[in-house]
Amino acid sequence: MIESERPGNVAEPQEVSASAKRRVRVPTIVYTLALLFVVGFLFALGNRNFLSLYNLNTILSFGAILLMVGLGQMSAILIGGIDLSVGGLMSFISVIFTILVHPLGYLVYPICVVVGILFGYLNGLLVTRVKIPSFIATLGTGGILTSLALFVSARPVNVPSSTYGILDLVNASFLGINNILYFGFVVFMIYNIILRRTAIGRNVFYVGSNIRMSWMSGINIVSTRNFAFMLSGAGAAIAGILISAVRYGGDPSVGGVYVLSSIASVVVGGTALTGGTGGPVNTLFGVLLLSVLDNGMNVVGIDPYFQQSILGLMIIISVVLTFDRTKTPIIK
Amino acid sequence: MNNKVEIDMNGSVLVLRGVSKSYPGVVALDRVDLDVKPSEILGLVGENGAGKSTLMKILVGLDQPDAGQMLLRGQRISPRNPADAIRHGIGMVFQEGSLVPNLSVKDNLFLCHEDGFRKFGLLSSRSMVQTARKVLEEVKVDIDVDTPMFETTPATRQMIEIARLLWLSRLYAQQNPILILDEPTTVLTDGERETLFLILKEIKKSASVILISHRLQEIVEESDRIAILKDGRNVTDMAAADAEISEIERLMVGHVFSSDRYREDEQAEPQDEVVLKVDKLSKEGFFEPLSFEVRRGEIVSIVGLVGSGKEKVCEVLNGLERPDGGAIYLDAQRLPMGAPSYTVKAGIGHIPIDRRSEGLALGMSVAENINLLVLKNLRSGGVLSSRMERKNAARWIEECRVKTPSMNTMVSNLSGGNQQKVVISKWLSSRVRFLVLDHPTRGVDVGAKDEIYKLIRKLASDGIGMVIMCDTLEEDIGLSNRMLIMKDGRLVREVDCSATRKPTPADLIDFIV
Repeated sequence: MIESERPGNVAEPQEVSASAKRRVRVPTIVYTLALLFVVGFLFALGNRNFLSLYNLNTILSFGAILLMVGLGQMSAILIGGIDLSVGGLMSFISVIFTILVHPLGYLVYPICVVVGILFGYLNGLLVTRVKIPSFIATLGTGGILTSLALFVSARPVNVPSSTYGILDLVNASFLGINNILYFGFVVFMIYNIILRRTAIGRNVFYVGSNIRMSWMSGINIVSTRNFAFMLSGAGAAIAGILISAVRYGGDPSVGGVYVLSSIASVVVGGTALTGGTGGPVNTLFGVLLLSVLDNGMNVVGIDPYFQQSILGLMIIISVVLTFDRTKTPIIK
Repeated sequence: MNNKVEIDMNGSVLVLRGVSKSYPGVVALDRVDLDVKPSEILGLVGENGAGKSTLMKILVGLDQPDAGQMLLRGQRISPRNPADAIRHGIGMVFQEGSLVPNLSVKDNLFLCHEDGFRKFGLLSSRSMVQTARKVLEEVKVDIDVDTPMFETTPATRQMIEIARLLWLSRLYAQQNPILILDEPTTVLTDGERETLFLILKEIKKSASVILISHRLQEIVEESDRIAILKDGRNVTDMAAADAEISEIERLMVGHVFSSDRYREDEQAEPQDEVVLKVDKLSKEGFFEPLSFEVRRGEIVSIVGLVGSGKEKVCEVLNGLERPDGGAIYLDAQRLPMGAPSYTVKAGIGHIPIDRRSEGLALGMSVAENINLLVLKNLRSGGVLSSRMERKNAARWIEECRVKTPSMNTMVSNLSGGNQQKVVISKWLSSRVRFLVLDHPTRGVDVGAKDEIYKLIRKLASDGIGMVIMCDTLEEDIGLSNRMLIMKDGRLVREVDCSATRKPTPADLIDFIV
């Protein structure tokens, strides 16, 4: 690093280090957006229906589910941790939501979110009180939750048709837009306000950026970390609710794929795995990119065997473009 | 090369001529010349940003110059990387250390150059151990060569790096290797520092040493010749024997420092009111019960050798450590102890010795770092207000003269001095009543130091009480109103340091050791 300062002469123009000048760069979000447009354009060329209102609605509806898990995962990652239990939690919530929707009615929505938050809190306690790294702690709780889901219902269950009305909260549409998108937008705004515009949200960034400094500055690092994992639990629970509502049924294995795809969406959006940098807007675009890719490859008819490798390649490319690698001296 | 080398080596082993290097927007080196003579310690000084680090990076091949020539014993060289440089006998001991923590001492010594120990294709552990012992003996390190690196002290690690470089240059048959030491003494205790220089004197018989240090005292005392860089250009070089620190400082900074370099003329008499009262505070194994008071606007410096317990006292004041007994009163209110959250809430601030790992969120912006403690006051309608955040940050950037392109710049992009000012701003904006300053000018260059002294004086005139620990005894004397001398965990003496009655270091040294 080239240090640069000409002290002793305050009148001189402001100096920045050379590396800083090099780092005056396009915000990472711009790369994600550009990539999104390029990919969207290519798919639209491949199949005109890609841009049809129906298909865009499909993309966004599935994107909304990934966005919920992604926002939760991002909270855990911002604090410098990771949440591998989101999949198990999603499956568990999916099953209990389906079973409880009849006896509880509309109450099932808040109750499932609270259950998710409680499991998030449990993850938090394992990390902050038992002092287990989040990677291990959530791997454990994720496993427990997966088998809990199977224990409650080993097979997919359907929502009784008498309660479809309750699911309309998610499945109906308003002004030609699926309700699930409003859901996604509202939750996104809530995460954005909490993380960007509240003190505890800002503390998540401080702790993720430098936990010792945060502790020494009097930030409650235990409750801040617990809070981040609660946000993660809430996100996974909402995703579990949405996916069951959309499918009119619960499935004890529905969450599995969301563990890695939530991490991918966070990272592709430009949130560093080292914590402290990134945010909800990043994750929104990461989710959009992944959803567009996932849908577009089917729409233009790419061989399903080939899709995974394209997806993998795109993740690598977008991380190369978006992730500010100058901030992390060593890439592990 | 087509232009034949026609540079007079003039008895030097290494000669640099017209070395230039630019980074986007910054000329780091502008036609720099440097001569390294055999068997000498060359002190290289300059402010942060003067180009020392760039020059050394070029020497060991971490960076390539835009122009200029490097000649080693008349041969033109251009090292591509550190491994290439060491084949020419040029090696560097890095500030952060370049050893692998979980490998053993001997594995680290020979890392990547183990070929000589191969026996039937496998590495012979026995001959490695033997060589390791021999190599370490040269730098007077007595340690089990199978100890994992992370169990060794910073001083030992440094010695091992030096030993490794010596061994490597011998392996590649280089006479009079050139060792570069970048701020080697910052991590060392005083005793270890003496050992280091003793060994360097020994090594010097068959090697050249380039010594980079902010501590001009040791540069003048330990080196044979001093080269000064300023703004990426050569200023001069001189024999260390007739160098004076004030003259070096003048050349480094480009203007003369007044005699009241710690801004003693701005030192005010403290107010009468006591802000902090420490009553029979103790921590077993570190310090015995001690009591003292700090008044508003008073700067009290705690001095003592390593092991005197002064660091632990400050850690207890900041809530980083729980005391065994005693109490602390802030404005006559008894302070809950044992967690920084209590002390921060009560209004005790802390400028830590290691600002990168303890003072800053490096990946976050200047504004976010400054506002950390006062977020609660920057809310409107329950959420943080961007307008109020910007206002608060702008105010403290202005007040503490933080030089930054914008408040949204990442703190890691600022120089050490400006980073320190961000840490100070952070505490000031939270209206602290008492501050513990742990080596506030550590790693800050001469010019920026002055600005920090100015800030400290301002804090005092605002009525903030301070406990301070400094890099040098002179700094302690110059800054403080009063001095507490600690020795072996006991408070042994109190010395008046008011502006008109400053003691000299010689007056104090007997009490300290």
